[in-house]
Amino acid sequence: MTRRTATCPGCGAAIEFLWSSAVQTTCAYCRSILVRHDVALERVGVVSDLPATASPIQIGTAGRWGASAFQVVGRIVYEHDRGAWNEWHLVLGDGRSGWLSDAQLEYALTFLVPAPPALPPAADVRRGQQLRIGGGRYEVTAVTPARYRGVEGELPFEYWDKRTVRFADLRTPGAAFATIDYSEDPPLLFAGEAVEYDALSLQNVRSFEGW
Amino acid sequence: MTRHLAYLAYGTALLALLGFAEYRGWSLLRTSETRNVPRSVRDNPGAYRSPYVGGGRILRGK
Amino acid sequence: MVAAPPVAVRALRCPSCGAAIEQRGFDHTRSVACASCFAVLDAADPSLRVLTRFAGHLRVRPQIPLGTRGQVGGAPYEAIGFMQRSIAVDGERYAWREYLLFNPYRGFLYLTEYDGHWNLVRTVRALPERVHQGGRLAARYGGDTFRHFQTAVAGTDFVLGEFPWEVRAEDRAEVRDFIAPPRVLSAESTDDETAWSLGEYVTGAWVWKTFELPGRPPAPRGVYANQPSPFAAARRSVWQVFMLFLIALVAMAAVRYADAPAQVLRESRQLAPGQLDPYVTESFTLGGRTSNLEVRVGSDVSNSWFYLVFALVDEGSGRAVDFAREVSYYEGVEGGERWTEGSRTDRVRIPSVPPGRYYLRVAPELAPDAVRPVSYTLTLRRDVPSGGFYAVALLLLLVPPVWVTARAAAFESTRWMESDYGSATGNAAASDGEDDD
Repeated sequence: MTRRTATCPGCGAAIEFLWSSAVQTTCAYCRSILVRHDVALERVGVVSDLPATASPIQIGTAGRWGASAFQVVGRIVYEHDRGAWNEWHLVLGDGRSGWLSDAQLEYALTFLVPAPPALPPAADVRRGQQLRIGGGRYEVTAVTPARYRGVEGELPFEYWDKRTVRFADLRTPGAAFATIDYSEDPPLLFAGEAVEYDALSLQNVRSFEGW
Repeated sequence: MTRHLAYLAYGTALLALLGFAEYRGWSLLRTSETRNVPRSVRDNPGAYRSPYVGGGRILRGK
Repeated sequence: MVAAPPVAVRALRCPSCGAAIEQRGFDHTRSVACASCFAVLDAADPSLRVLTRFAGHLRVRPQIPLGTRGQVGGAPYEAIGFMQRSIAVDGERYAWREYLLFNPYRGFLYLTEYDGHWNLVRTVRALPERVHQGGRLAARYGGDTFRHFQTAVAGTDFVLGEFPWEVRAEDRAEVRDFIAPPRVLSAESTDDETAWSLGEYVTGAWVWKTFELPGRPPAPRGVYANQPSPFAAARRSVWQVFMLFLIALVAMAAVRYADAPAQVLRESRQLAPGQLDPYVTESFTLGGRTSNLEVRVGSDVSNSWFYLVFALVDEGSGRAVDFAREVSYYEGVEGGERWTEGSRTDRVRIPSVPPGRYYLRVAPELAPDAVRPVSYTLTLRRDVPSGGFYAVALLLLLVPPVWVTARAAAFESTRWMESDYGSATGNAAASDGEDDD
């Protein structure tokens, strides 16, 4: 895909888009959050210091999921009692948007479900509830209130300065995995599967001192 | 199957022994004694003395 | 795009005693124990406040020193945390040790050790299903059924190194273990959540080799919950070998009993008091190979006995085989019931008689108080099968499979003695470590 370029309205640096359909991005130099209106960029805010996370994935990491190749173009960082976790935004070869979550090195790859079934409202969702999604039986295993901590890179929607968000994790007897994101109304459903690091053939990952 | 090499050897030897015992007519019990007799026994059976003679009085039932 | 620098290892200083602490788990670490004063510190707090301390003077030395690395599943892992936990069962404390293994890309693994038995454990994210098997609680995961082994409340006694969660001395978790040897499925429940993990039994030798530890691993004691049975596979295959032998034995017997043995002599005589002279039978030929000769005496003796002294004489060599048989039979009615003692017939097999021409010399004796004459018939048959041999062979062939089965059962019995179910073995066939090879 041809890379589109633009100029950061905050500091004038050149912004190169890894993904043609990016709605929002950040400037690596002045940390401005920039929303794309076709070629022109609007500066809507600034990203504060992202919490240090030792995620081995970074923007520019490439990998394979099954037969599809993908590239990591952005992320959203959340924090809760257990620590921070990253939702890495990745783009597949066919232009689809996916999410690779890294929570203490447990990975899951999910996609937004465009027409989700009826989801329990935020106030009602509980551990142990059963849900049917696409013919599979899912059980709510965790309801997590989290704090939005920041964004980086290219995202498929406008997303910044959220406060507390609520997530529900759903699991199955197999590898299938889903998350309900209650930061919007109606809530968003992301479904996919838990994955192992080695199954993704990741390249251009971060290096660690001593490893 | 090959983990039971010892059992296979043992069982095969056992069956071979069984086969040979049957072939040669062996017995587990000792029921008899062997010795040489003079040719005249045929003509005079009464002259033959068996080690088992007289046992009837001891071995009988009631 | 500028490449990000390598994630750096942090060097910390214990606020309690000032000792240097090396942090190996990067930003995943939430708790870190000071190796000098054993205080557990909050790694997420810039001032490293003390999270908790363990009461008592328990100090345990990890067998895998923290910082040691080993290749597990093709990737390097470093031991960064160590803890001793224990449960109380019937008033007794059982303590085991856990090692936290870390790889910055692949995450965490655990190595547990109890009484020399080791398990490599990884977190499971799929949800096992609760089922019942054989009247007992079980869990189904990954196509296997895991039988419930034990439920107990576990506490932490001592920690060293780092952990990706906040460790507190008063932490309690309900641990439920389900086994399908060599694997174990464990559920750890606190008020907030239940975490499932899957363990695979590994030997001390594997641990020592993986982490290149000096010396020898401690010898395991007893049988561990998910320890694979060394007899499991043998128990099935040994009976398969037995079946082969049984078929061979039956075939041998079929061949042997197929043809009726040749009858070489049949003579009838009568015994009366005073008519008891020794006599010789007709000569008969024993052909073929050396084999046995069956001498059968059939009679009509009733409430008396007679005694026959035999000599089987070889006409050619003059060799004789001496033997004697008693035939007695008694019957009566006592208290309305009929009783019998003895038999009217007698059978004896003379072993290994070479072929040749023979006659039988017979010296009969009759009970002195006999009132009636006794008629008897001598029937001689050549090369008669010995049924007893086959029975003995069958019993001897049964010894190895019975022994293996008994040992396998004893192993399983020992395994289940440590469980919540005491010495009940339940369905032994489903609980041992069967591998299909």
